[in-house]
Amino acid sequence: MFFFRKKRGVSQNKQSSESSPDLKYIPSSKKEMEMVIKSVLQDDTDLVIKSLQHPGKELTLFYFSTLTDRKIIQKSILSVLQNLQAPSPSLEEIEASLPIGEVQVTESLDQVIQTLHNGWTLLHIEGKTNALLINTFGMKERGLTTPENESHVFGPQVSFNESLATNTGLIRKYIASPKLHNENLEVGKITRTKVSMLYIEGVASEQNVNTLRQRITELELDQLIDSSMLVQLIEDNSMSVFPQMMLTERPDRVSAFLLEGKLAVLVDGSPYAIVCPSTFIEFFQTSEDYYVRWNMATFVRMLRMIAMFLSIFFTPVYVASLTFHYEVIPSALLVPLAQSRAKVPFPPLFEALLLELIIEFLREAGARLPTKVGQTMGIVGGIVIGQAAVQAGFTSNILIIIVALGALSSFTTPSYMMGTTIRIIRFPMILLAGIWGGFGIMFGFCFLLIHLLRQSSLGSPYLEPFYPIRLRDLQNSVVRMPFPFFSKRMVLTRAEDKGKFNAKRAKQKKDIDE
Amino acid sequence: MEITVKPKANLLFSSYLLLFVIVGNQVGIGVMGFQRIIFREAGHDSWISVIIAGISTHLVAWVMLKTLDLYGSTDLYGIHEDVYGKWLGRIFSSLYIAFLLMGALIVLRNYIEVVQTWMFPDAPAWLFAVLLLFLMVYGVSGGIRVIVGFCFLSLFFTIWMLLLLIYPYQYAEWIYLSPVMEASMIQLLKGAKEMTLTIVGFEILYFIFPFLKEKEKAGRYTHLGLLLTTCCYLLIMIVSTIYYSEDQILQAIWTTFMMFNVIQLPFLERFEFVGISLWILAIMPNLLLYTWAATRGMKRIFQWKQKHALYLFTIVLFGVSIFLNTRLKINALNDFSGKFSFYIVYVYPFILFIIAWFRKWLKRKI
Repeated sequence: MFFFRKKRGVSQNKQSSESSPDLKYIPSSKKEMEMVIKSVLQDDTDLVIKSLQHPGKELTLFYFSTLTDRKIIQKSILSVLQNLQAPSPSLEEIEASLPIGEVQVTESLDQVIQTLHNGWTLLHIEGKTNALLINTFGMKERGLTTPENESHVFGPQVSFNESLATNTGLIRKYIASPKLHNENLEVGKITRTKVSMLYIEGVASEQNVNTLRQRITELELDQLIDSSMLVQLIEDNSMSVFPQMMLTERPDRVSAFLLEGKLAVLVDGSPYAIVCPSTFIEFFQTSEDYYVRWNMATFVRMLRMIAMFLSIFFTPVYVASLTFHYEVIPSALLVPLAQSRAKVPFPPLFEALLLELIIEFLREAGARLPTKVGQTMGIVGGIVIGQAAVQAGFTSNILIIIVALGALSSFTTPSYMMGTTIRIIRFPMILLAGIWGGFGIMFGFCFLLIHLLRQSSLGSPYLEPFYPIRLRDLQNSVVRMPFPFFSKRMVLTRAEDKGKFNAKRAKQKKDIDE
Repeated sequence: MEITVKPKANLLFSSYLLLFVIVGNQVGIGVMGFQRIIFREAGHDSWISVIIAGISTHLVAWVMLKTLDLYGSTDLYGIHEDVYGKWLGRIFSSLYIAFLLMGALIVLRNYIEVVQTWMFPDAPAWLFAVLLLFLMVYGVSGGIRVIVGFCFLSLFFTIWMLLLLIYPYQYAEWIYLSPVMEASMIQLLKGAKEMTLTIVGFEILYFIFPFLKEKEKAGRYTHLGLLLTTCCYLLIMIVSTIYYSEDQILQAIWTTFMMFNVIQLPFLERFEFVGISLWILAIMPNLLLYTWAATRGMKRIFQWKQKHALYLFTIVLFGVSIFLNTRLKINALNDFSGKFSFYIVYVYPFILFIIAWFRKWLKRKI
């Protein structure tokens, strides 16, 4: 394992391994500086050292060519420095003449090494022990595209990309308020990944902010690549199959959650934001539910709940009733069932597992295949396997309908994580149904119920608003009431500022002919 | 041992949930076939016996709450220690723990028997015992909040089955109910006494009380819960009486499930198979609450770790449920526990209240 949770009280050992042990400050001579930098960075071929002869002083630039924007260095640094008129300009004079916003004066070598890796440029002046750090970071980033995994018909069509700055900017665009706080944290001893924790001050609960900050800062690991890794490390129960914190790629969704008093975590290099605390039911909601009218949204949400139950229980019920309880099947239904199963040599359990596996193969292959080859998947899956399996007498037609329905239902779950969870749960349920029939299904159901009752998300109950029952949050769970009902923030987040607007005035009704 | 219990704030739960705890612990195995036993005593006036039994639960619960109110925030174990002193208190508490375990055992064993009889005649009993006890261990180790949550949710997943009484109701013969009050008062009371096994479970109040957020509201929700249970039982009793003829009802063992026979849906027949499977949701609260209360007792009296007590009791329940392998033994257990429960649940609270009240009164005098 490359990580473990750090015990409290142990101080962070600071960056000592990377700089040379005897030097903590910037040397005054250029030669010495070059030697120091080269000794620390070994022979990195993309490190550029550029010297400028200026009357009286020698100026040297250090930067990584791969991390910086060449145009900025040429236009905003080099040309400015060459045109400097003063005979021996001071550090402050140079700083004032540079047309760049982010410039820092530093003496610490550690800071120099660290910022060089973030795409900054170091300007060293012969004979001075402090130097200028200039932000010249410039890297090509993926353009802002439409959300792929959480695609909507209505609403904003923009998703996060891999740049932390852009992602934070996207959220700031939605919430233009000084109350939106952005706390910068750092995770990973080697990778030094930048992590931002966002919340709205006065809305998000202080306790939640502290808990989340503590969970992130107490992590001790050497690498962090993606937010989906971070979420597994800071979840309440990482052993559970259920995701306890939401991952979303939609800035509008994150903003809406922040305004409810939740917290968001952005990780540099990851197009997914972590939102917490989350509840079970939230994984079955989308931001589109708020963009369409409330009755439509309610209908779709109920549809998704039905789909979830179907997806988990339909195939197991088929297996259980055909294996043990054929008495429950009415005689009119029994005939077509028997006819379609007459040729099948396998017991229902085996038959169902086989078909479920085929569906899972299809799904996984479809996800991994390049898009050009992907079209063949439909043909392979639909015709070859479906048709041929029935004709060969491997499975019954009815089971194909049931399994396909279950798979289809599991894809209606908006959250990819939760959809996968539901598909995984299906397999033990089918096994239980095949071994102990209806009793087995209910055993599995009870186990799931107890398991869900035991979970929490950032300390908040996972099954809220169903248990503990919270009427206000129930209005926005399986149903989505009209907006006048949402005058208060969610109970779940324990928001400090609870009210959104005046409920009485919103609900005022007119009399006839007024 | 501390007499007052002050659980941590995050373990407390809202008082309205007490309703679900009471109903969850009352409704269990008895409701599957209590009609026959009462019918034997009170005939077609059995529904009056149900009402009498229901009223008596309110009376007993009222006394229980009065006793608990004397102490503010404590459970039965604390009261025992205060009333009887250390050693005698321990003996009484241990007896009560045995009673609680017996409650769990009866639910466990009878449910397994139902499952065996209706669904899996060939499957061994120990298998179902292992499965149910596994769920029990998983639930109890989640703590009181999880258990209460399960009671709460399970009621919603089971109470809709009352609506299914519409199906047997279609074949109702109201004439079966008349003449009303044919049975004598003695017969009615005997019938009510036979309800004991079905209607007990509210004694869990003694143990859950300190975990309530607003203790002054406990009475309201206890009585509401008892009322709800009584109404359910009354409904089932009346529908059974008008659906079955007298001879049939005296022969039907699992009367309630037999009524499901008449349910016919386009995609489903023989609903009792679904019903019996779903009934696991109704018996789990019994198992969870009784075992939780028993393990809590071991913690309170003997300073055991609750986990260790849970494992021990699980093994005990498993061992005994295997030993009870015939219908005769199970019947004997049910009869014994019916009598035992009657004295513990109906008689003992009055005695305890009088002693506790007397001691408080004495202390105030001195």
